[in-house]
Amino acid sequence: MKPTTLRDSIAPSIIRNLLLTGLVLAATASTAVAGMSRGFNRLLDAVVRIDVREITFEDGAQRFTGGIGSGVIISSDGLILTNAHVASPQAVEISVTLSSLEHVRAKLVGWDHWTDLAVIRLDLDEVHRRKLTFTAAEFGDSNELSPGQTVYAVGTPYGLARTVTRGIISNNNRPFEDDHGVNGYETGSFNTWLQTDAAINPGNSGGPLVTEDGKVIGINSRAYIGAENLGFAIPSNIAKRVSAELVRSGTITRSYLGLVPGVLQDLERFYALAVNTGLLVNGVDTGSPAAKAGLRAGDVVLTLNGQKLDGRFPEQLPPIQNDIATLPIGSTVRLGVKRGGQLLNLTAVTEKLESQVGEEWAFEKWGLSVRKVSRTFARENRLPDSTGVIVLGVQAGYPAGEAGLARDDIVTKVGTTPLTDLATLKKIYEDYEARPEPELVEAQRDRRISLYVIKP
Amino acid sequence: MIAVLIAANVQANSLSALFNERLKSVVAVEFFVQDEIERHPVSVQGTVIDTNGTIIIPGASILPGVPPSQLKDFKVYRPNNIEPFSATYLGQDALTGWHFLRVEEKLRNQLVPITHYDAVVADPDLSEELWGIGLRNKDEDFMPYFLSSRVAMVTKLPQKTAILASEVAGPGLPVFNSAGRLAGLAQTSFGQNFLLFSRNQNGAPILLVNVEESSVVLLADEVLPNLARIPQTVTGRPIAWFGVYGMQPVDPEVAKLLKLENQPGVVLSDLMEGGPAVEAGLKERDIVLALDGQPLPRLKPDHVVAGYFGQEILRHRPGESVTLTIFRDGARQDVKVKLGDEPKLVREADRHYFERLGFTAREFLTTDEIANRIKPSEREGVVVQFVKQGGLAGAAGLRPDDWVREIDGEEIKTYEQAVKKLTQIESDKTRAEFVLLVSRGGETSVLRIKLN
Repeated sequence: MKPTTLRDSIAPSIIRNLLLTGLVLAATASTAVAGMSRGFNRLLDAVVRIDVREITFEDGAQRFTGGIGSGVIISSDGLILTNAHVASPQAVEISVTLSSLEHVRAKLVGWDHWTDLAVIRLDLDEVHRRKLTFTAAEFGDSNELSPGQTVYAVGTPYGLARTVTRGIISNNNRPFEDDHGVNGYETGSFNTWLQTDAAINPGNSGGPLVTEDGKVIGINSRAYIGAENLGFAIPSNIAKRVSAELVRSGTITRSYLGLVPGVLQDLERFYALAVNTGLLVNGVDTGSPAAKAGLRAGDVVLTLNGQKLDGRFPEQLPPIQNDIATLPIGSTVRLGVKRGGQLLNLTAVTEKLESQVGEEWAFEKWGLSVRKVSRTFARENRLPDSTGVIVLGVQAGYPAGEAGLARDDIVTKVGTTPLTDLATLKKIYEDYEARPEPELVEAQRDRRISLYVIKP
Repeated sequence: MIAVLIAANVQANSLSALFNERLKSVVAVEFFVQDEIERHPVSVQGTVIDTNGTIIIPGASILPGVPPSQLKDFKVYRPNNIEPFSATYLGQDALTGWHFLRVEEKLRNQLVPITHYDAVVADPDLSEELWGIGLRNKDEDFMPYFLSSRVAMVTKLPQKTAILASEVAGPGLPVFNSAGRLAGLAQTSFGQNFLLFSRNQNGAPILLVNVEESSVVLLADEVLPNLARIPQTVTGRPIAWFGVYGMQPVDPEVAKLLKLENQPGVVLSDLMEGGPAVEAGLKERDIVLALDGQPLPRLKPDHVVAGYFGQEILRHRPGESVTLTIFRDGARQDVKVKLGDEPKLVREADRHYFERLGFTAREFLTTDEIANRIKPSEREGVVVQFVKQGGLAGAAGLRPDDWVREIDGEEIKTYEQAVKKLTQIESDKTRAEFVLLVSRGGETSVLRIKLN
């Protein structure tokens, strides 16, 4: 089981009221916390509620959905740190509620699903015009945290803005990865997480986890729903680095080798290794730089560019993955590898890391929504190349659905044109809109090729 | 008036007489599937097809991967009688799917094959009444009972099949018309949709399958010509092989756009490297329009034509040639394909159960190449066929269909190598653990199995 992201969706009012009732009852049972520090009170003024309207491409159409999350203002020029699963490039409208209860529009600056972080910026013109004020929070040092230390989560659980809950750091180095954890995108490969028992609920996403003096030491992000207070936050030291890069270039560029690491613990004797030596290769992505270099599953990487590796425990794997990711793209990597009794020196050239999730689009007159086949998706599914688009959904009664296309089909060709990129399909669609005529469509389902006709 | 009444009476009597007479063509069949750790009793119904005591039972009686060596203790019972007679398993016919048995000599003269009765020549009319036999379970001495129903439709699936308004016979048992002529053989039943109404007034759709009776009848002219297909070997060989795993129908809209004049076709994909189709020069995306000069028929729904094509291939023997008319790059051309021999099936694969380790390894087959999307040249390792629940391998996370590529760091090239290696590991009582490199769904991982 994996912890779930914590953005709140718009719930019917009856459910909301029931939930509110429950929370009110719980609140009366708890005791009030005595006066907080000045830093803490200042932090409260930096926490915002974020309402996002975003576009989705499910079920053969372009639709709009809404969500509620939290965020924390981190600069006097209105930058706000939140989760990638709260504010993504699919957001078409972002509205921020300041601690003064005033609403201000904001725009996405950049996002990084791997660390589940995003930065948005308040519309400063609007802020100045309306003479609004806000406060920026300060970061603490997440490396200094120790389990048992008291922390507070601030955010908008179930739409309840400016909610403060209290707990402790339950664990300050928790590894977990999720291949589809952030709106279908991968997350958690390059960082470990803070675990806390401060109550965090849907809507807390993107809000800060802070110390008693109001320093931000984490960004609340996920929890086990239904469990008793098992919440997770991105450590502030990672958030600080990622947000700075997002502000600078809007995105985080990472290198990719295609090596899937495994835990070496208790296998040292089998591999005839000294303890705390080497990184086990659990798998190698097909066609990846690691595969081209000749690396194989079951190999143990002893050194990377001369540096000794130690991947004995799961907690050690994300930092190693991050070290690989921060290598320059296209750089040559020297791998010292142990295979059985052999010692090998392999060289790989890093590529740019890509998500398995490609660009999405909806062709409304066809009732067809698609996602581009990414290089990563093609490799994982052993497709010959990244030609094609994956059907996300079809709308019943529209041409694509009538033709027989269905979710998860991979459309590779229209007429005689291979769909090497999404623009090709957009162009074909434009022509169709101008002059609707039957189109022959080739698609694969479980590698079996079928032909369909999309017609007006 | 009186005459009419008498006639009706005679007919009723004769139907009961026909029923009693035809009971000699039906039997109940029991056997066990003996897998690695337990026995699974199976109880089905069969039809007698000749005077040598040959009996057919439905294809679904035995799961496809079960090797004949695991089929034990075949027993044949007559209706209303629990005296068992032993039988030998002859094998499965690839075209019909039927399993064939031969019962011991002493019962044979008490049985009457269905070929003894005249068969219906024309397709049954809609609303025509057919009847058949059902058999109760062993605890009721396999008591026979009468079933009848009316023909609702006749369709090609691709074999000519009558679907009746309700159950007409036990699956695998013959069906007759009112004159006692053989109308066909009841098939394993289709599921039927029902709405299950609960107290809160919300209906929930459910699929019910009556496993004891069937309303689906394979017509006699599809049954009789195939009764001679008694397997020559227990594995059902020889079986013709085309070497193509993707055969998708071309629907009328596509045919129209391709200017194929509404000619049904089958698009080929997933062609096995080195298989007969590839050797003959067929390619992915070729559309087969005709087989030996015969255009593929228009069958409903469209996908039935793919089943038809597959069956027509199976009517041939390995080594025989078929001429396919294909459509490629806008033009028709003929391609002659010399059919091969079906590669080893799962039920024929060598396998070994390692009792202490708690799993069965079997040799890597052509079907595994398809499942794991690899080329024949990448073939290696063994496949996990069975994992004992709670066993050592099971506890370590090994699962059926896992592809074992290395054992203790040694690359596995052959099945024999794997068995030797695993036997060594199993017999070494001093070892604490061993390591497998396993692929599952395209992902590879190192799996450690503790031995104590």
